[in-house]
Amino acid sequence: MNNVKTTVIGSYPVNVETMELMNGYFNQTEVSWDEHIRSAVNDMVNAGIEMISDGQTRDPFVNIFTRKLKGCRIRDRTEIIDKVEYDKPITIADQKYVKSLIPKDRQLIGLITGPYTLTNSSVDLFYNDEKELAFDFAYALKQEAQILQKHVDMISIDEPFFSIEIPDYGKELIEIITKNLTCSTRLHVCGDVSKIIPQILEMPVDVLSHEFKGSPKLFDAFKQYTITKNICLGSVQSDNSRIETVNEIIGHIKKGIKIFGDKISQLAPDCGQRTLPQDVAFEKLKNLVKAGEKIYG
Amino acid sequence: MFSFAKEQEIFDISGIKIGGQPGLYPTVLVGGLFFKGEPDFDTGKKQLQNMLDISKKTGNPAVPDFFIRKEEYIEDITNFIESIVPKSHPFSIDIIEPSLKVKTLEYLDEKNLLSRAIYNSIHVGIKDEEREALRKHTPEMAIIVAFNPKDKSPDGKIEVLQNGANLTDAGLLDIAKNLGIKKILVDTAAMAPGDNSGASIAAIPVIKEEYGFPTGCAIHNVVEKSKWLDDFKSARNPVDASSNINIPLFGGDFAIFGSIANADIVFPIIAWQDILISEYTETYFGITPDDSHPRRKLF
Repeated sequence: MNNVKTTVIGSYPVNVETMELMNGYFNQTEVSWDEHIRSAVNDMVNAGIEMISDGQTRDPFVNIFTRKLKGCRIRDRTEIIDKVEYDKPITIADQKYVKSLIPKDRQLIGLITGPYTLTNSSVDLFYNDEKELAFDFAYALKQEAQILQKHVDMISIDEPFFSIEIPDYGKELIEIITKNLTCSTRLHVCGDVSKIIPQILEMPVDVLSHEFKGSPKLFDAFKQYTITKNICLGSVQSDNSRIETVNEIIGHIKKGIKIFGDKISQLAPDCGQRTLPQDVAFEKLKNLVKAGEKIYG
Repeated sequence: MFSFAKEQEIFDISGIKIGGQPGLYPTVLVGGLFFKGEPDFDTGKKQLQNMLDISKKTGNPAVPDFFIRKEEYIEDITNFIESIVPKSHPFSIDIIEPSLKVKTLEYLDEKNLLSRAIYNSIHVGIKDEEREALRKHTPEMAIIVAFNPKDKSPDGKIEVLQNGANLTDAGLLDIAKNLGIKKILVDTAAMAPGDNSGASIAAIPVIKEEYGFPTGCAIHNVVEKSKWLDDFKSARNPVDASSNINIPLFGGDFAIFGSIANADIVFPIIAWQDILISEYTETYFGITPDDSHPRRKLF
């Protein structure tokens, strides 16, 4: 599979033994998170995934970023209490660790939660201006992306809130992050994007990623447009524990090929797999890889 | 000096009051017994009596904190509590291993000791069997340890109380309340030197202002873990004991001060600090100290 790569969207299930964390507290020793990253990465490697992520095991995808950006604090949700600014690398150390774990023939995808999603997932107690907050998130994330590009083969921006609404400045937000990056880029928008396809196709990224398995009507919606971007084809559901068979996935990919032809550059789950049982997530990845190999060799 | 805008909870356990605005009630001092493992009951009895005597002199309530590290010690230690701790006096049980927590709760219930018991502690490591035991054998009061391995700052401590930092199915406060625990103390989780240790002190006023629950910590743990103090051996004990003054100074309500053997030095230090605080808070905030306050012993 030289031209079409199997990959992931982002998060992977994590099983934390919280008593181990407490024993670290009682003994006043630092408890490493490496075992959880390793567990996710090993599953991806063993399933045969070609482009691997860090699994976003530390936190939900919003908190990973807002925990380390200035101006944010986490209560029930993230609260914005001051100007949002970049403070220090957020995901870089984990990416370096993942790189040390994976075979040389595998690639690495860096994950960034998009500025519009961070904005809409937060309680704004400071700006009272959604646009200004979103732009400050974008500028902060740009700094992370500039460092991240040196360590990964692709950067994926996860913007699920675009499926609800793309603001008129949505493209600008993405452009702030992707402009002048030397690695390739992907925009992942899960949910129903059928009404925003024209705006999505204008986004300054190399690959568009959507949940085609859970929302097969997207095939019909995309059929109406000339596809100018490469496509990451969501091919197994992330919100359903039923494990798709290899044949079922093959059938799905063939449908995708009818619409997108050689524009399909990646096969992936529909979304992050964090909420699935780990064994289910693993089996889905294995079947995804098998199906991809059957079609693309 | 602090006075909180948030209404402050004041809890009573066997006649001991804990919580409220700074300067109102004396700092409650929690001294540990049997933390080395095998209990020495003769020494423990003397140390307990000594702590209760000095508590009477200073006015600071004393709570003996019983470490239980092995199942074989549970019966003897709970017998000791039943027979040696004065009948009207509270105590706490300090246990790490979840299965020992469950068994100890059963023993305390059998001996009708739960109404005087402070459960030390509920934290993100809570197990299903522990929840079940707490529902069935609910202690009068529980300490919640606000340890958040993802964020050791005061904000991180609030996060774990509020939503469990995505490590538990709910925030630790809700977990405790849903188990039927009505009297909650918050321990701000002192960390080792160099690991955001000061946050446990800084978090005290933050948590009291946010929730109003009685709050404190085991700041002595920071001193205990210090390697730097190895160069100043004679200073270790005074530094350990005096580190506790940070707790009432930052508005805290209780200090888990380490070994009960240190009661002789810790109680007068904290009583003195309570007096200083009370002199200010009464003048500035109009907080009249309770009759039990150390300041009443001085004047």
